Amino acid sequence: MTKNLVIAAALSLALTGGAMAADLPSTITFGSSMQLTGQDANLGRYYRDAYQLVIEQINKAGGVKIGGKSIPITLKLVDNQSDNNLAVRQYVGLVTQDKVDFLLGPYASGTTIPVSSVSEKYQIPMVEGGGASPQIFARGYKYIFGLLPPADDYFASTLTMLGQLQPKAHTVALVTADDAFDVSVAKGTKKLLAAAGMEIVLTQTYAAKTTDFSSIMAQIKAKTPDIVLWGGLEPEVLNAIRQAKSLDVNPKLLMSFTVGVPAADFRKALGNDANDAFGMTAWLPSPALKDTWFGDAEKFAAAYKAKYGYDPDYHGAAGAVAVETLVKAIEKAGSLEKSKVRDAIAASDFDSLYAHVKFNAGGQVVIPQIVIQIQNGQVTPIFTDKFIGKPVFPVPAWSKRG
Amino acid sequence: MLLVQILVNGVLLGGLYGLMALGMALVWGVLNIVNLAHGAFIMLGGYLVFFLFTAGLDPLVSLPIAMAVLFLFGYVIQRSLLNLIVRSALLNTLLFTFGLDVVLTYLAQLLFSADFRTINPSYAGANFSVGAVTVPVGRLIAFAIAVALALLLYLLLERTRLGRAIRATAQNLDAARLYGVNPAQIYAITFGIGAALAGAAGTLYGIVAQITPYIGVTLTPKSFVIAIIGGLDNPLRIVAGGIVIGVAEAVTSLYLGPTYTDVVSFGLLVLILVLRPAQSLKIA
Repeated sequence: MTKNLVIAAALSLALTGGAMAADLPSTITFGSSMQLTGQDANLGRYYRDAYQLVIEQINKAGGVKIGGKSIPITLKLVDNQSDNNLAVRQYVGLVTQDKVDFLLGPYASGTTIPVSSVSEKYQIPMVEGGGASPQIFARGYKYIFGLLPPADDYFASTLTMLGQLQPKAHTVALVTADDAFDVSVAKGTKKLLAAAGMEIVLTQTYAAKTTDFSSIMAQIKAKTPDIVLWGGLEPEVLNAIRQAKSLDVNPKLLMSFTVGVPAADFRKALGNDANDAFGMTAWLPSPALKDTWFGDAEKFAAAYKAKYGYDPDYHGAAGAVAVETLVKAIEKAGSLEKSKVRDAIAASDFDSLYAHVKFNAGGQVVIPQIVIQIQNGQVTPIFTDKFIGKPVFPVPAWSKRG
Repeated sequence: MLLVQILVNGVLLGGLYGLMALGMALVWGVLNIVNLAHGAFIMLGGYLVFFLFTAGLDPLVSLPIAMAVLFLFGYVIQRSLLNLIVRSALLNTLLFTFGLDVVLTYLAQLLFSADFRTINPSYAGANFSVGAVTVPVGRLIAFAIAVALALLLYLLLERTRLGRAIRATAQNLDAARLYGVNPAQIYAITFGIGAALAGAAGTLYGIVAQITPYIGVTLTPKSFVIAIIGGLDNPLRIVAGGIVIGVAEAVTSLYLGPTYTDVVSFGLLVLILVLRPAQSLKIA
C-alpha cells in the first residue's frame, strides 16, 4: 500500500515535472552480444571487462546527464559463444525483446559485419571497438560507428618506419588469414607496398583458425624475403611465431604482426620467444590522453589492471570509449531519441582515454598505428610518424637470440 | 629441396595426428562408441601437463602422469556412466559424449579461463639441420612418442592376455563372455586406454601448438577422419593414416594454397568411403 502511494507520488511528480523529464526512464540500457565463450572468448573478455569498468565509473560519477537529471547506465551483455549467427539473433532479441536503448559492438570484423545490419534495420545506433574492416563501413550504413582504425592501413606506419631505417627493405612475404579483417589488411597492404616500391615475393592466404603453418614457413625460408608481414588473429600469430622458431625461419630484417603483439597474454604465452616481434597498436596508456571520467589513459590502465589483474591493450581502450562515445552523444543530444543520438555520434569531437574521437563520413575513426616491438618482455613503442623508441633492427636470427 | 622440407614437416605432424586418432579409433573399434569428447580429453591432458610444467616439471616427465590420470578418468566415466548405455543405439552414446564434450569444454573455460597456454620447454623451439632440411626437435619428439605409443598399443593388443580379451570383446561378445571375459571391465579399461592416449596427445599438442578450452572443436573431427582412413583394427595403420593426412595437408598447402588443407583432408575421407565402402562399413 505504502509502496503504491510512493509510486503514485513519483508518477505525479514526473508528470508535472515537464515533458522533458517525463520521457526519461530510470535507467538507460546498453546492449551487446559478446564472445564470452567459444574460440574468441579470450578477446571477447577484453571488451566485457572494459564495458563493465567504464560503465561502473560513469555511474559512480552520477551516470548520463540529460535534461538536468542523472540517469545510471545498465549493461545487458549476452554470450554469443563465438557464433556469428547466434550473435545476429541476440542483437535482434536485445532490440525487440529486451528493448535496450543503444547498442555496443561485439568483437572482430567478421561478427560486426552481420550484426551491424541489425542496428541499421532497427535504426538504433551501435558503437563498436572490435571491428576494423572497412567492409563494415562501406555499405552506406548510418547507425554503425567504429573506433578501430581501418584495417587497410595497419601496416602503413610500419612501412614508413622501414623507409627511414638502414638497411632498406626490398622484398616482402605477405601472409594473411581469410577472415574479413585480414582480407582487408591484405588488400590495403598490397597497395601500400606498391606505393613504397617493395616487391612481394610470396603471398599466402590461409584459412582462419589454422594451427599448422609449417608449409608456409618452409616457403618463406625458401624465398628469403627481407620482411614478413603477417595479418592474422592472435592464436594464429602465436603458432606462427613458435613454428618460425622451430623451423629456424629468419627474414633478413623483421617479422611484423597485425594482432597479438600488444596483448598481455601474448607475451605470457610465448615467454622469451615474444622478444623482437614487431606489431602495432592504435593505443598506448599515455597520460597525454585526457579523459572525462578517468582523468587520463594511464589512470584508466591502472584502474583496469587493479580490477582485472592484467594490462589493458587497445581492445579494452576502444571498448571503453565505445561506451563513452554513446554517453557523450546522448548528453549532447539531450534526448534518448535514436536519430538525434545518431547525429550527435556522427558529430563526435572529443578527447578520450583512447584517442581524439572524430568519425569520417563512413563512421570510422582514422588514427595512426603506433609501431611497437617486444623488447625484454615489454611492449616498447618505436615509431609513430617519427621514432619514439630504439628498435632492435635488423632482428637477429633465432639462433643468435638469448 | 622445398618439397623435401614440406614432406618432413608433413610426416612429423602426421605422427602426432595419428596419436590423436589412436585413442578414438581404439574406443570406436572395441566399444562401437564414437567418442565426441575425444578432443576435450586431449585438451584436459594438455592443461594437466601445462600446469605441471608451470610448477617446474618437464612435459616428457609429466606425459606418463597425464596418461595415468586420463586413464583413471576414462575408466570411471565408462564404468559408472557409459556402460549403462554402451549397447543401446549409437545415437545414445553420441549424445552422451557430445554432452560430455560441452561440459568439459565449458568447465575448462570456467576453471582455466580462455587464455592461450603453451608448454614451452627449451627444446620446443629447437631444431637441427640435415643438409638443407630443418628438423624441428619438438615435432620430432612428438612423432617419436606417437610411433612408440602406437607400437606399444599394437603389442598390448596382439601379445597380452588383456589385449586378446579386448579384441575378443570387439569380435564376438558372447564368445568372449563364455571364455570368462567380463565385458564391463574390458570396456572400462579400453575407454581408459583411449583417454590415456588422448592425454599423451594433449601433452605433445601443447608443445607444438597452444592449448585453449576449445581445441577439441577441431581435434575431434580430425581424429575422426584419421580413424576412418587408418581403419579401426590396427594402431600402426592409424599412425600411417595420420601421416597420410599430415603429408596431404602439407603438400596441399604448398601447391594449392593453405586455405585448401581442410578441403583435402575431408575430401580424402569422402574418397575413401566411396572407394572402399566395404572396408569402412566393416570397421564402423
